Amino acid sequence: MEKYKILEHPSDVKIQASGETKEELFLNAALGMNAILKPKILDYKSETRKIKVKSADVDALLVDFLSEILYLIQTNKEVYDNIEFSKFSDTELEGALIGSKTDSFNEDIKGVTYHDLKIKQKNGLYEVVVLFDV
Amino acid sequence: MISKENFKKITDYLWEYQKTGQMNVPARIYVNERMLDKVFKDKSVEQLINTASLPGIVNFSMAMPDIHEGYGFPIGGVAAMDAEKGVISPGGVGYDINCGMKLLKSELSEKDILSNLVKLATEIQREVPSGLGRGRQVKLSIEELDKILKHGAKKLVEDEYGEKEDIENCESNGYIEEADPEAVSSHAKNRGRDQVGTLGSGNHFLEIQKVEEVFDEETARKFGLFKNQITVMIHTGSRGFGHQIATDYIQIMMKAMAKYNISLPDRELACVPFQSPEGQRYFRAMSAGANYAWANRQMIAHYVRKAWREILGPSTGSGLKAVYDVAHNIAKLEKHKVNGEEKELIVHRKGATRAFPEQPVLIPGSMGTASYVLIGTEAGKDSWYSTCHGAGRTMSRHAAARSLSPQEIISQLKAKRILVKCYSLRGIAEEAPQAYKNIDEVVEIVHQAGLSKKVARLKPLAVIKGE
Repeated sequence: MEKYKILEHPSDVKIQASGETKEELFLNAALGMNAILKPKILDYKSETRKIKVKSADVDALLVDFLSEILYLIQTNKEVYDNIEFSKFSDTELEGALIGSKTDSFNEDIKGVTYHDLKIKQKNGLYEVVVLFDV
Repeated sequence: MISKENFKKITDYLWEYQKTGQMNVPARIYVNERMLDKVFKDKSVEQLINTASLPGIVNFSMAMPDIHEGYGFPIGGVAAMDAEKGVISPGGVGYDINCGMKLLKSELSEKDILSNLVKLATEIQREVPSGLGRGRQVKLSIEELDKILKHGAKKLVEDEYGEKEDIENCESNGYIEEADPEAVSSHAKNRGRDQVGTLGSGNHFLEIQKVEEVFDEETARKFGLFKNQITVMIHTGSRGFGHQIATDYIQIMMKAMAKYNISLPDRELACVPFQSPEGQRYFRAMSAGANYAWANRQMIAHYVRKAWREILGPSTGSGLKAVYDVAHNIAKLEKHKVNGEEKELIVHRKGATRAFPEQPVLIPGSMGTASYVLIGTEAGKDSWYSTCHGAGRTMSRHAAARSLSPQEIISQLKAKRILVKCYSLRGIAEEAPQAYKNIDEVVEIVHQAGLSKKVARLKPLAVIKGE
């Protein structure tokens, strides 16, 4: 299973993420977002941030979750490559993000969009395509 | 499947799609026949037709010749809603609130700066950080930020980061009065605190240019432009601050829409009545985003002037004066004539530039191609005095980066005597001129259609990009 791949779009950037569980799908979508930002990691000392998101449904939860991580990335100048969920349902999640300080990014993301976003189950895997406005 | 056959020719440069299904008004595209053939290759026409179904939309949903697929609305889209009965939509503004252009003019000609061009471009790049990590980092307090949100570029000029002509020669004099910092989340403020005076990435740029051709001598003289004159152009917006406002309010409106019984063919058009509490709050927050962007371009102009003095010395005449500053992603409350009667409208311009009669209009080309100065005309009234905003992409960033080598692009530009300063080679490949529509053709259409008239063409000498 490929965690994520970057797809074609005329003006923005799309990723396709996969996961055996929804938790894994969410983590892999976050890793895909990191790949777009192309951060230059400063040091690998681990930084931990709390995250808590509530939304109307699981699709909105993913968008809101990625938007919140994007906010934490940009304001703390950090990237996160792991998540420990303490709570996870279709409408609510809580957990800790684990990551590193960054020096700079090579790309900017303006926003995480709802464009054609639908979490689907295929051959036992969860899949989603997320469009980022860059 | 929508095709060219569904469009009726109104003039050589204007095509109309009749009102059907959920549409409240017809849809119109300003293009020539050749370009019309090409607009069907992405979802932009479908998006334009969906936009026509928004409640309270007046006359037409419209697209400029640089139309391409966007989020909800197409990019290059113009839609005016009745301020009493219509809606406001963050998708009609975009994530980069008040992305726009600022143009500065010098008293110097090309020959006066050629020997200093590399030094000048390097110094400007050093003075104006992208905001993605490298370079100067200033973090404003929330109190300082709130003042910028309320008074935009005007606040910076008061603090001596500019001159009074900067706000005289700026759309809305550099700020929208309705802006309210209280309508903005702490997330947005935190993202905005250290980004005033930063360029961002993607298609944002700073250029040292020369006036290559003058089309209208009289207007050029009025704008203070002459052949071979050196100008500096700034293209950026409200950075993370505006992006977060869009994120926050798209979320709010998606939830609130049901309350107002609004159902739309595409949920990305999320909107609420302009007069509703959520609509008014978004308008106040978006206005704060617009003010932030005017302040951002003003601060960048300040640092460009600093670099200019540093390299060219005090003998450079009066330095750099503002020609104009204008937004191309915004919703404005404006009065327009509808069926002979004056009405208040909320005009959404997403990838479209305001072009009031006699107003300078600034249209950026893609990297390494010409930019234009136009003038708004009375004939632009049918498009609520709006015109195009640039070339418009035809190739994805990914495809561009894969098919074009950055070294090749740099040497092609070098052959045209254009210097490129960018920290990221990939950034150069993604923004290659080949990835865009032809700016000359786009501008020719708005000129022929009468939406705005050509005044001068500006050729880049040095391009400074974010990442």
